[in-house]
Amino acid sequence: MLKGIVLKIPSDGSVVESVQIFVEKVGITSGVSEEDATGLSIAVMEVVKNAMEHGNGGDPKKAVTIYIDAFPGRLQFLIDDCGTWQPDADLGHEPGEGEALISSRGRGVLIARNLARWLDYGLNPEGKTRATLIWPLS
Amino acid sequence: MKIKEEIKDGIKVIRLSGKVISGPDLMDLKTVFQTSINNNMGNVLLDLSRVAWMDSSGLGVLVSGHTSLAREGGRMAILNATKKINELFIITKLITIFETFTDENEALASLKE
Repeated sequence: MLKGIVLKIPSDGSVVESVQIFVEKVGITSGVSEEDATGLSIAVMEVVKNAMEHGNGGDPKKAVTIYIDAFPGRLQFLIDDCGTWQPDADLGHEPGEGEALISSRGRGVLIARNLARWLDYGLNPEGKTRATLIWPLS
Repeated sequence: MKIKEEIKDGIKVIRLSGKVISGPDLMDLKTVFQTSINNNMGNVLLDLSRVAWMDSSGLGVLVSGHTSLAREGGRMAILNATKKINELFIITKLITIFETFTDENEALASLKE
């Protein structure tokens, strides 16, 4: 069972692809089917991209830290950024309306919530924003 | 992601396959849309029958292509989105702005109108 994996990555879009591949492999190693592992990696990376953009303002010097742990029946991802933003509790439950609907951005959390079944935002012990994503294992 | 382009009945058909997700491939798709606009291709049919996954960045490129074409008086129609991609269009409500078809001839006929 995977325990205590920590990835510290810069807020740099060029690392997204390699981290996504890594998360996919973590999923497969933990017993997620190859098909679902892609969904898992997309969900995690949507949250990571949000952390880079909203939490760290796209500053490559600021890191996003991903803590990965497997527990019986679930994989847990804690995704920390350097910001103190506290997303609205309703974030990602509804798509935008009007202009927001035709915006080319702003759907990441909505997609992550739908793929992951469980995604919540709060603060880590240092008072920085932490997203918790749970992926059930069968 | 793989991108194939062809002209069918005077309509630009873009066929995508694989994963439409963040990465350098998305820039290629943006370029394909932009080239269609620059060449006054007008309407575009986007075949998604072989697209397994799409993330918010991929969706963003589709929305951007759709609005750019519309601004120039063109239309983008989507052909045969898989169940997974269709669900994505539903949860994001993009289903309300995208024209979708399950029959290629019907889609081409509509785009020629």
